[in-house]
Amino acid sequence: MPQDYDVIVIGAGTGGYVAAIRAAQLGLKTAVVEKQKALGGTCLLWGCIPTKALLEHAHALKIAQHAKDWGISLGAAAGSGPGGVTIDMTQVQTRKDRVVTGLSKGVEFLFKKNKIDWIKGTARLTGNGGVDVFEGERQTLRARKEIIVATGSTPRGVPGIEIDRQRIITSDEAIGLREVPKTMVIMGSGAVGVEFASIFNRFGSDVTIVELLPRLVPVEDEAVSAELAKSFRKQGITSHTGAKVTSAKAGADGVDVDVQLADGTTKRIQTDYLLVATGRGPVTTGLNAEGVGLQIEKGYIKVDNLFRTNVPGISAVGDVITFGGPGHPQLAHVSSAEGIITAERIAGQESRPINYDHVPGCTYCDPEIGSVGLTEAEAKTRGFDVRVGTFPFGILGRAKMAQETDGFVKIVADKKYDELLGVHMIGPRSTELVAEATVALRLESTVEELIRTIHAHPTFAEAIGEAAHATHGAAIHS
Amino acid sequence: MATDVVMPQMGESIAEGTIVRWMKKVGDAIDRDEPLFEISTDKVDAEIPSPAAGVISEIRVKEGETVPVNSIVAVIGPASATASPPAATADKDAAASAAKAAPAASADMKAPESTEPPVESAKAQEPPKASPQADGASAAAPPPPHYHDRDEPAPAAPASQNAAPAEPSPVAAPPPAQHAASAGQAPATSDGTAARHTGSAEDAIRERSSPLVRKIAKEHNVDIAQIHGTGIAGRVTKDDILGFIGGSASAAPESSAASAKPATAAPAASAGPAGGSVSGAPPVAQVTFKPGANDHVEKMSVMRKRIAEHMVLSKKTSAHVHSVFEVNFGRIAKIREAKKTEFERSGAKLTYMSFIIKAAIDALRAVPIVNASVDGENIVYHRDINVGIAVALDWGLIVPVIKKADEKNLVGLSRAVADLANRARAKQLKPDEVAGGTFTITNPGVFGALFGMPIISQPQVAILGIGNVEKRPVVVDDAIAIRPMAYLTLGYDHRVLDGAVADEFMSIVKKSLENWDPNAV
Repeated sequence: MPQDYDVIVIGAGTGGYVAAIRAAQLGLKTAVVEKQKALGGTCLLWGCIPTKALLEHAHALKIAQHAKDWGISLGAAAGSGPGGVTIDMTQVQTRKDRVVTGLSKGVEFLFKKNKIDWIKGTARLTGNGGVDVFEGERQTLRARKEIIVATGSTPRGVPGIEIDRQRIITSDEAIGLREVPKTMVIMGSGAVGVEFASIFNRFGSDVTIVELLPRLVPVEDEAVSAELAKSFRKQGITSHTGAKVTSAKAGADGVDVDVQLADGTTKRIQTDYLLVATGRGPVTTGLNAEGVGLQIEKGYIKVDNLFRTNVPGISAVGDVITFGGPGHPQLAHVSSAEGIITAERIAGQESRPINYDHVPGCTYCDPEIGSVGLTEAEAKTRGFDVRVGTFPFGILGRAKMAQETDGFVKIVADKKYDELLGVHMIGPRSTELVAEATVALRLESTVEELIRTIHAHPTFAEAIGEAAHATHGAAIHS
Repeated sequence: MATDVVMPQMGESIAEGTIVRWMKKVGDAIDRDEPLFEISTDKVDAEIPSPAAGVISEIRVKEGETVPVNSIVAVIGPASATASPPAATADKDAAASAAKAAPAASADMKAPESTEPPVESAKAQEPPKASPQADGASAAAPPPPHYHDRDEPAPAAPASQNAAPAEPSPVAAPPPAQHAASAGQAPATSDGTAARHTGSAEDAIRERSSPLVRKIAKEHNVDIAQIHGTGIAGRVTKDDILGFIGGSASAAPESSAASAKPATAAPAASAGPAGGSVSGAPPVAQVTFKPGANDHVEKMSVMRKRIAEHMVLSKKTSAHVHSVFEVNFGRIAKIREAKKTEFERSGAKLTYMSFIIKAAIDALRAVPIVNASVDGENIVYHRDINVGIAVALDWGLIVPVIKKADEKNLVGLSRAVADLANRARAKQLKPDEVAGGTFTITNPGVFGALFGMPIISQPQVAILGIGNVEKRPVVVDDAIAIRPMAYLTLGYDHRVLDGAVADEFMSIVKKSLENWDPNAV
């Protein structure tokens, strides 16, 4: 006799657990199938949360390293690293794990509160709303209304580079390192790559980034990439852009990495660890997706703009989906937004497609990057008559106080209607500041509206108002 | 027994009406035929009298809302039912006296000659014209629930009238609320009705669009109220307005809704309804225009929009040709001078207009095709001669119709013209009084124009324009003489009227006027 639910969610990551909570809130009897030992998925257990916890450590270390500037004496016991301080990786890991566990338990609590059943094990679709869950023995579930597949993604390597999880590692291993490597080579300079570069560089590793494309953080505005490259150089991070890892041989104590540089020369780098941060691929192992007739494209489950698959009664959200065509953003906040929309749609509420041009992106490198909307190049490609305005943090009072003066806010706007098309920031608190820009884009704001919005003083957010002024001619303080 | 008050059927072709103003509020006592509310429709703005005496027990349609005809807009309970809400009682007396004051003012109005510009008192009568969001086209979309928050005192109206997105530019025109106040409608402002009214128009726009949409609307001269919003709570989004503007949708940069990025299906979903919602009003050809910081932007009234649409439609429909004749009014002037007092004794005013109408009627009888309409490939000859008289209003233009004008004599025509003009300015025309015209006369001469080139009122085929009657040197019997002269213009539809026919018509008019038999007055 199968256990009946209205909605069965497969995967308890940000897409899945949020969909489940929303479905339960709307009165649907909901179960979530999760094979991991804890709830929260990639974001909470392996991605956003642990890395950002590590970054907070890196930031704290940065302050401590500059204790003298701040007039703080740490005493002789502080250590012997740069600035007379060292970091205790065991304590770092303990604290990070405490944060992760606390948040994961929080999701468990929310499940209980919303009477959501957590079915432990690996889900297999059996058709007609059926889900078999294997963990030891088989459980049979049936969804009366809908199954939501939210199985997510996992780090993906590149052909020819074998990830041994010892010396050639992914972010999954990197978050758990209990030592500060002397050297680290990072393949890929997307969010994951540059975040770990910042973390380990701050911790004391000698970091080298190898990026295939001609610039760091290739999805960001070119100006942001240039600023990050400049800042990384200042911090002592080596970046090889337009470069390719041609081979990597792992030994017991390290890796020999062969890199073909942009100028065509090759270079062998001996490093403690090679972190492969070249992207993430979908997880559908054991799901029997093709067995029930789901349309699969390059491993991803194909959905429409309201996250319906081609099989009635099965929806999919998050990192595992594709709309066809260019990539779907693999971001926790996108997954949860999709989960909410899907749950509401299943509950019979009016649903609207997401505008993916208005998804904020946050990269927690140092300096932080926050961006939303079109880059200058994208805007031009789409045929807008573009004008931009930039304001550097370097001349902002609040930034000087914080001693965080790298970076800028750049606004991309359409000249014709003054439409705000994109806001790109690199610098202190950018990942927070992007929220204002996201609301502005969501509400179809004009640059004029940003100019007339009063920005409190002294704040980092003033840079947004100033950049808006700059878009229309000149900032006040520049 | 309660009486339902319905949105009246304002003419055959009119399906809905907009409540511009309530003159009473819930709890107010009202007499039968006392003005209860003011409406604006495609064709006419009118005050609607109460169908019964009693106490207003319910107002269902708020100011600015558009509802189909025969919808119940209010309920009048028996006078004894004292279910007036507490809030109403305080202002009750003031409101009642205001309601009395309004008709009184109109009684004081001089009966203006139809051809004269509206007198000052008519101006004072004019309520603030701000019913923008309530265009008929938007009726399909349910209005957001809180257009008018009755509990909340509205902010000062004047500033909010300025629809410019962010620029706090000074308002050039006298703000409507002041206008209303100066018209002795103090209660309206004291209880916030008028202020709320103007404020809410802006609120409605604000609620239903975005800064970007307002900016695009301004540049394309698009009325946002006409656009079906697909956003949350009917919000008009960028895609909606770009879809509405139409042509620019392809030229304009890729819609932002996920099209170039992953969700390829998204734009189709959001663009679809917008495209389909383009309402009956054809979007006016777009002229790129950008109001500057010192410009004052005001929404068109319903009447303004209708005039605009009709004029453009007429220009597109008919092959306009104009023929100008000069008429010597010497004889008419003499007759008028001689009979003036006689006419005044009988309560009528003998104007040039009366003679011209009469002359036109005679000519229409002689050349019936001028009194016709085009119906597809058919020409429809009208047996009745119903003459429309264009009346300039402070807030627009209206053309009341003298039905069966050919059955009236000069006195009757004079009276009809005066009556219709007065009631047009007092907003008391009945809907059927602005419909059914077969020929139109307009008089730009009162404003000093030498002659006009009028646009035909569809579906008619001709319109007579009258220039200023003034003394000019003319050649009479090879001598130069001074005569009261005027240019008369016939605007006619060359699809059915050729120049020879039109000029034949004009010759008859000219001949009648120049050879008027004094005994025929």
